[in-house]
Amino acid sequence: MDGLYVEGITKTYGSARVVDNISFHASQGKILGLLGPNGAGKTTILRMIMGITAPDRGAVFFRHGSVQTKGVPLTEIGYLPEERGLYKEARVMNILLFLAGLKDVPRGEAKRRALQWLRKFDLEGYADKKVEQLSKGMAQKVQFTAAVLHEPKFVVLDEPFSGLDPVSQDVFKAEIKALANAGAAVLLSSHQMNIVEELCDEIFLIYKGREVVQGDLHSIKERYGNLRVDVLTPTGQKPLVDSSLVESGRQLDATRYRYILREGVQPVQFVHSLPADLPVHELVISRPSLHDIFVQVAQGGVEHAEHLEDSPLGNYA
Amino acid sequence: MRNTWKIARWEIMRNLTNKQFIIGLLITPLIMALFIVVPVLLERWNQPAETTYYVVDELGALDVLRDLLPPRVVLVEEEAGANLPDLVRDTKASGFFTLTEDFVNSGQIDLIYNDRNSEGTSALRQGLTALLQHLRLALAEVSPEQLAFVTAPAQVRQIALEEELEPQAMHITVSMVFTLLIFFLVFSSGAMLMQSALQEKRDRMAEVVLSSIPPSTLMQGKIIGHFLLGLIQLGFWLALGLPIALYFLDFSLVEALQAANLPVILFFGLGGYLLFSALFVGLGATMEDLQSAGNSQGMVIMLPMLAFLFIGPVVSNPDGSIAVFASIFPFTSSAIMMMRSGLTAVPLWQMLTSAALLLVTALATMRLAAKIFRVGMLMYGKNATPKEIMRWLRYKENGR
Repeated sequence: MDGLYVEGITKTYGSARVVDNISFHASQGKILGLLGPNGAGKTTILRMIMGITAPDRGAVFFRHGSVQTKGVPLTEIGYLPEERGLYKEARVMNILLFLAGLKDVPRGEAKRRALQWLRKFDLEGYADKKVEQLSKGMAQKVQFTAAVLHEPKFVVLDEPFSGLDPVSQDVFKAEIKALANAGAAVLLSSHQMNIVEELCDEIFLIYKGREVVQGDLHSIKERYGNLRVDVLTPTGQKPLVDSSLVESGRQLDATRYRYILREGVQPVQFVHSLPADLPVHELVISRPSLHDIFVQVAQGGVEHAEHLEDSPLGNYA
Repeated sequence: MRNTWKIARWEIMRNLTNKQFIIGLLITPLIMALFIVVPVLLERWNQPAETTYYVVDELGALDVLRDLLPPRVVLVEEEAGANLPDLVRDTKASGFFTLTEDFVNSGQIDLIYNDRNSEGTSALRQGLTALLQHLRLALAEVSPEQLAFVTAPAQVRQIALEEELEPQAMHITVSMVFTLLIFFLVFSSGAMLMQSALQEKRDRMAEVVLSSIPPSTLMQGKIIGHFLLGLIQLGFWLALGLPIALYFLDFSLVEALQAANLPVILFFGLGGYLLFSALFVGLGATMEDLQSAGNSQGMVIMLPMLAFLFIGPVVSNPDGSIAVFASIFPFTSSAIMMMRSGLTAVPLWQMLTSAALLLVTALATMRLAAKIFRVGMLMYGKNATPKEIMRWLRYKENGR
């Protein structure tokens, strides 16, 4: 199958193993999300894919049609690094043309596409502005444009949503989806699981350099996330529930209770089991979020969640 | 190679459209002109055109003395009874003195001065000394012919033993000018290259660019781009300065170029540029910014200056062992060999040894710089320590 293959890559800095035997496959036409907290090893993995650092063990392959390369196909790949930047004194269009030129896009074609992208991002009229005149969000849009202007078959985006407002996040999501629909294999990393879980066709959860779980969102939730029911009663009266359907239950606040259903229990079964005279104001039955699953699988407890988000950045030197 | 040119073109365009670069381009010749013109003007303002002395002449030798003095020193004869101090004060003359019989005997004379004009005084001293000789020889009844014969200066003609050792003034000047130009090119381009590597890091562009081209291509592109930029700068200034130089200093451009040892200048100039530019670009990659440069980095920056230490010894003895060493040692050879080849006939074996050493050193330095560049460009937020740099040099290539 076409796409990007990562096979058993491992990277050690000093005594710290920051990436430990990671394997995955990003197919063309699909979006793969590499998700995990800060310092999980995401950027190191992407840098190894880009050939910027070399893995101690393992390999990265790129396959497109009958062509399979071990080295990075420099003109076929688009990369948005975590370290954001553009030449400050240069003008937007000149930078885009220069970078597209390095990817062998003919000048006229590059200019046409650049204008098209600037229009998409509401940046018409900024082509001749200097980068230092742009806001941070605008600059990020220009960087994104630079990464995909040559219509790459492989797209690697390191934290594409960080620093963006919700509206711009939606614009980016739509464009990333469009790239995949156009046939590119998209690999993106993020520590904000709630933003990307719906966007990704495939998800790879990583923690402390190790794989936590991978698969499509639905099957991960099927596998790890038992249904969860939040019940809100006006008086705070504790509902009497059938303990054969429920794995656990606890009070969230004065009026709300949360139950985790046993595996295989259907929502309807649970609703029928509730007493007919129970005064229910709200009833929410849902799968847990990816973040909850991550915490559950990686850490086995909610109490570590705060600590997890604050863990320091990896050391790349 | 195509990508190398793209990088080179980008570097050139980036600078040519940069205000600072253009201002530098225009202001540098102005500053240079100021440095040449201002001292000349200052000296002219400082020096009165003439220095005047009042003289009471008891010997009747004033006309002879006038002939012995340069025209700027003016002697005005006065009567013995005149109030010379007041006269000197009123006319702002430099001083007065009396030529007496006693001068011929004792050789002593009192110069009462109003301003201490050292140039006038020294001219006067020489003139009076010559006058004294004339007067004393005349006392010994020496005829004017004999006098001229006795006081004529020696004339020394210099003829080299081997004909090719004979230095030509044009040859020397031209190689000095070229040495200076090359030095300028190395320094200005070197500094700009270092800036360029720093800027790439500061603007966080290294990763993006390196996802399109290998690091060695980026480095080569930068080196070539800044070489061309340096040539553009030099070309601009030469176009500005040459017509002026040709007008004021009577020389023929064609002759100058013929006198220059062009192959030597081109080879050693280019070799020196490659060596030092690789050094500077690699150095830039190890730094976070110029202010934080460490001691070891500062020392590398000073390396091209090493040649300056040898200029004196090489000019005074271009065939001496110091000159031979400096023209072969690769970190000084590019400038010193150019100079030596203008001053003397450099033996072929020295020329070839020096050329080979420079070539090998430049290539080795470029290889090492490429390794440092590859890692350093992607390192943010700190200066590399010498220990880290040594570790980078041992990294192996990663398949690109």
